[in-house]
Amino acid sequence: MSRPTINLRDLVVLIADPSPYLSMIAHSILRGFGTNKVLEVRNSMGVVQTLSAQKIDILLCDARLPPHGGLSLTKAIRRKVDNENRMIPILVMSNDTRETTIRQARDAGANMVIAKPMSPASLYDRLAWIALTPRQFVDAPTYFGPDRRFKIEGYPGGVGRRKGDHIVDVAKEEGPSLAQDDIDNLFSAARFGKD
Amino acid sequence: MTDGNESEPRVFTVETRFQKLARQPGGISREKAIENATAKIEEIKPTFDDWVGTELESLSTLIKTVQAGSAQPDWIEAANLHSRQIRDAGTTMGSELLTFIASSFCEVLDAIEAGAECNMESITCHLDAMFLARQRRYHGMKPADVPELTKGLRRVVEVVSTTPN
Repeated sequence: MSRPTINLRDLVVLIADPSPYLSMIAHSILRGFGTNKVLEVRNSMGVVQTLSAQKIDILLCDARLPPHGGLSLTKAIRRKVDNENRMIPILVMSNDTRETTIRQARDAGANMVIAKPMSPASLYDRLAWIALTPRQFVDAPTYFGPDRRFKIEGYPGGVGRRKGDHIVDVAKEEGPSLAQDDIDNLFSAARFGKD
Repeated sequence: MTDGNESEPRVFTVETRFQKLARQPGGISREKAIENATAKIEEIKPTFDDWVGTELESLSTLIKTVQAGSAQPDWIEAANLHSRQIRDAGTTMGSELLTFIASSFCEVLDAIEAGAECNMESITCHLDAMFLARQRRYHGMKPADVPELTKGLRRVVEVVSTTPN
């Protein structure tokens, strides 16, 4: 069976990173993936202006994007009811991959978080995941964004469950089960592709 | 799905333009994409040394103003900005050691910002370590290749983090 591929050639990607150098690195990686149209902005205002001026297919947004951070921007994009880009895929780039940060990104409505320094493999895997593993959207009074209940068991075409992995027998249930929040905590690293 | 109650979450399927286009035939495989992207990074690697040099000079100038007592009140944020950028670019550009040192420096700055004592030696030793790691003979080295340096910096971070102001 052939491995899945992703076609990024005709996509318009917006990189929002305050650092021109780090932005250039991400830009170069995307060029390597075959993306022809990559735009760069340095702050949230640049994102808002670009989104209102042209069609953007995916936003790569730094978590510390000035002035209020990438998570606030993500939340603003998701919560604005009349925003036609409300459902745009958003990949948050962050050097802080602590549990709390990942959770905050998820709750802001980000599709995924990618750790900085980023590698071509980690970026490709996340783009492939977003492209090939569709998630439903949730519109709730306190949240708008991709369904937060998901689990990654390996990226499409990437390193995931290996051929030699064994299925493990699980004991019969005894006593009360874990609450869903506890289960979420246990699996959160895998769920967000934390390497 | 919604049952008419407005407070009930509505769950619906979305297919974005990104997904539609990315699934079109003629895409790029993971292996080829990584190979091409790595080649693109190689193309810009020659700019890395100059860029790091500029960042370190800015940091050095900033730290001198702190030592002279003439720094702006937001000097920690400014120092953190430079350090974060070096940390975030280092490994991708082939310098895992620089990322390690810059990351350690960020921890020191975060601790000071959170109320730890501002120990100038902890700052200057990190700066010196970054200048050292930038030298040609340290190119391509990993933290494990210089255990004395990495252990020493870890110790510095531990001491700074546990020393209240």
